[in-house]
Amino acid sequence: MNRSLTVDVLFWCFAAGSVLTGYLVFRTDSMVRAAFWLLASFVGVGAILVLLAAEFLGVVLILMMAGEMLIMAVVMVMFMMNPAGLNPMFMVHQHRFAVAAGVVSFAGLSAVALTVDFPDQPVDPAVDATAELGFELLGDSMLVFQTAGVALLATMIGAIALASRNGRFGTADEGSLEPALDIEELESP
Amino acid sequence: MRAYLDPGAAVVSVAVAMVVGVYVVAVIDGTAGRLAAGAGRSDLGAVLLDPLRTVALLLTQRRRRTERADAPGWALAPGLLGGLAATGLAVVPVGPGTAVADPSTGFVVFATAIAFVMIAVFLHGWSPNSLFPLIGAYRYGAQALSLQIPFLLAMLATALPAESLAVMDIVEAQADLWNVVRQPLGLPLYLMVGVGVSFWGPLNLPDGADLIGGTSAEDAGTDRLAWELARAAMLFSIAAMGAAAFLGGWWGPLLPGPVWMALKTLFLLVVMVSSRHLVARVRIEPFVVACWAVFIPLALVNIFVSGALLL
Repeated sequence: MNRSLTVDVLFWCFAAGSVLTGYLVFRTDSMVRAAFWLLASFVGVGAILVLLAAEFLGVVLILMMAGEMLIMAVVMVMFMMNPAGLNPMFMVHQHRFAVAAGVVSFAGLSAVALTVDFPDQPVDPAVDATAELGFELLGDSMLVFQTAGVALLATMIGAIALASRNGRFGTADEGSLEPALDIEELESP
Repeated sequence: MRAYLDPGAAVVSVAVAMVVGVYVVAVIDGTAGRLAAGAGRSDLGAVLLDPLRTVALLLTQRRRRTERADAPGWALAPGLLGGLAATGLAVVPVGPGTAVADPSTGFVVFATAIAFVMIAVFLHGWSPNSLFPLIGAYRYGAQALSLQIPFLLAMLATALPAESLAVMDIVEAQADLWNVVRQPLGLPLYLMVGVGVSFWGPLNLPDGADLIGGTSAEDAGTDRLAWELARAAMLFSIAAMGAAAFLGGWWGPLLPGPVWMALKTLFLLVVMVSSRHLVARVRIEPFVVACWAVFIPLALVNIFVSGALLL
């Protein structure tokens, strides 16, 4: 089989797989299963990026999603009072709003896909896309990425400060109460 | 273009390497266990045959089923773990220009395989719908999320001297000086994390005896066999990558490159596998604290020092 046909077949397999698993995210009845289907969907997208010769981006997307989906499953189960995530539940809420939002975003993305004139620039196999990306990230686009990086770091520190057990007024599980404001009366001389 | 094998040849060579690697892990484990118990080395035949006996026993054992288990997830988990071991193994070069696959992002592919181990273990513990496996699954979540960053940082430092994320280039850059000398912190961190990623010996927290087997508490027969094989394959894959990234891969005097690669992999396997019989199991709480408070700073120091030396 020649190379471009293989790539086409793989692309359609991954694309169909991503859409199908993305659909199953909402059709399953368990949060953990939903997280795993979403992970499968993202792995398909990452594989498509690899097919587009954006090797590094694709593999890093897959790498990041593994940790993120596990954290998501753990957090969802923690907040949902369903410690195992095995109890059946609905994954879809606010049906009317969800349907409207789905239709609008589908129409918008379809309009973009149909109207935009996508560039056709096959990557030269001799070019090391990973190295090029590195030069781009630490060259012309450095300011953009460093700004985003610092913003994300600040978010992380904020999230840790909010979730930390040790607060300004004691530990969270002991109430973490603000001290009372009444002023100690001074003894008159 | 970088080196790639044909799909058929790639599958066969990775499969053969994995079978050999898993058997070697079992033999080392048996030998270390006998030596640690003071049983002596006289029964070489038993050491060589015991793994096969265990396989035969597990093949004939009845599988166990739990109530309302997630059967696809349960069946998928060992397959996923084994597949991840194969993916990791595929990017490890065995000689100059000789690798199953040598993508320019080989290091990232390996790291991705390691990151997905936590998905496999979580799935394995979650799907039987049973208490101890579930506790093991969450425990591994804490363990793996803490391990990931020191692992990535220790591996990333080896990419600095090579100025490339391709494993072939990382080995190539160790021609005059191996990374184990250049970055003395790297290999100990990598081995510690490697033992943790394949939840072996002192870091076997998700499948530990204090959880009656943890994620594999409900496994019997072929389920247990598949899980143990996949775990041993993961150890082998990590040892092979450690030999390539830190011990100079195929570089060495007199002997041909692939032989050196095999010897170095064997050495790391002996170190990691025998830890099960030499080191006491740690508890999860101090381990997680150590990961965040000690190993991440150490790994960062490792990166900063290697970066400063290169400038």
